[in-house]
Amino acid sequence: MMPAVRTIGILILALTAGCAGLKEAPPSESDGAAKTAPSTVKGSAKSSASPVAKKEPPLDVAALKTRLRDTQAIGVFTKLALKNQMDDLLEQFREYHQSGQKTGVASLRQPYDMLVLKVLSLVQDGDPSLARTISGSREAIWGILADKAKFNSVT
Amino acid sequence: MITRARASALIIPLAILFAGPSPAAEDAALLKDLTSVIMLLGMPCGQVVSATRRGENDHIASCKDGSRYRVFVSAEGRAVAEKQKNRP
Repeated sequence: MMPAVRTIGILILALTAGCAGLKEAPPSESDGAAKTAPSTVKGSAKSSASPVAKKEPPLDVAALKTRLRDTQAIGVFTKLALKNQMDDLLEQFREYHQSGQKTGVASLRQPYDMLVLKVLSLVQDGDPSLARTISGSREAIWGILADKAKFNSVT
Repeated sequence: MITRARASALIIPLAILFAGPSPAAEDAALLKDLTSVIMLLGMPCGQVVSATRRGENDHIASCKDGSRYRVFVSAEGRAVAEKQKNRP
């Protein structure tokens, strides 16, 4: 009788844990990099074989967008408000690049940093893996936004 | 075998019970969402303590500090928090 009770107890525990909204975090880019041996460089990464490139995996903007869209850490209204603010910032970058100025992109660094901080504060508790990925991609994203050619290829 | 049958009889109703998020959990998620969006839009609130649904993506949020906001999605697709006059 006791093993049966124990079995039921374990099953209930497993059921409760499974239904408590626990979601297996998708493997982050850094996780993937940790699993990959440093000598195994694939695809486009072959061309960028600097020591920095080996440490930092290439930024996958599409994957990051998907993860932000799919995360359960933030609700629908918050996602929409974030999207609105991201679109507004992208518009500012677009205007800057269209103006043809060579200087002045530094003025967009503060609003960019503020937005990244807002996103991090919103997701860090509910989706720490995503927060780590965003934090680790911060400079790479800035590099894309600040460079006219890269910006035009992404947007 | 009887024990297994009893276990199944217990597990199936429990599985149904825990299958989806409870209304209370959904409410808590909505309150958290409304708190976050009001904060994100730079409005003073502290924490949303209750919310009344007005329609699809349209809620009146009551904050801990006594302020109230209508939080909705505008025709332009923007999340908007509109301060409401406090009731006398």
